[in-house]
Amino acid sequence: MTHLFEGMFLIDNDRVRASWADAKAAVVTLVEKHGGTVHTARRWDERALAYPVSGKRRATFLLAYYEVPNAGLANLTRDIELSEAVMRHLQLSVAEVPAAERELAATEQAPDFVLPPPPSDDVGLYRPLQNLPEGEEDDTFDEPDDDMDMDRPRGRRRDDDYLDLDDRPSGPRSRVESR
Amino acid sequence: MSTQKPPVRRGSVAVKRGEPIEYKSLEILVKCITPQGQIVSRKRTGFSAQRQRELKKAIKQARHLALLPFVV
Repeated sequence: MTHLFEGMFLIDNDRVRASWADAKAAVVTLVEKHGGTVHTARRWDERALAYPVSGKRRATFLLAYYEVPNAGLANLTRDIELSEAVMRHLQLSVAEVPAAERELAATEQAPDFVLPPPPSDDVGLYRPLQNLPEGEEDDTFDEPDDDMDMDRPRGRRRDDDYLDLDDRPSGPRSRVESR
Repeated sequence: MSTQKPPVRRGSVAVKRGEPIEYKSLEILVKCITPQGQIVSRKRTGFSAQRQRELKKAIKQARHLALLPFVV
């Protein structure tokens, strides 16, 4: 019996610079070696990482959907972990391949597709949202967090503590007050 | 004794009904972590218990792939 899996693989950018086709083939070959069938495989993104992985601060993400027989799954996982091409991976069992995924993978197979080259250096400021359109910037970590306000006096919050009263939580306390 | 309506739960994160919360949907996940990288509570996300469990799993998977930090 086979199961369908979604796999996300972090590929070393040095290998991607050398040849993206070879880097992708390294993963596809591993799956096929253990009796699996690859439905789609495409470059998902190239990003700065939240923390260094194998000493690298950037990596290319390969997203693949493949079927593997139960007998070959443990060996495949072990081979992926031993592979030098894959820095880290995540395998999830899924019900089906998303329809949009087939179209996106087909785009990469087109003859006029050009892979955006990874940056020549391995540095890059990490932001959770990257590769946004021009003019948009990720300010996720720029917002102050009032939960972490160390100057706030200890104890239960009063209504005066909320700058915007809409932020005030509704709950048993407000129900008691409204009686 | 007057019957009180349950309080309306208002969350800060909007996710469409039926839309899955995955490790790849970073636009949603970044709204559900604090500037220190901690997972935001249900009280603040406004998610149901089931959605919050999906969120927890997605954030932990994204952290494993270095898409999100464990701690900032």
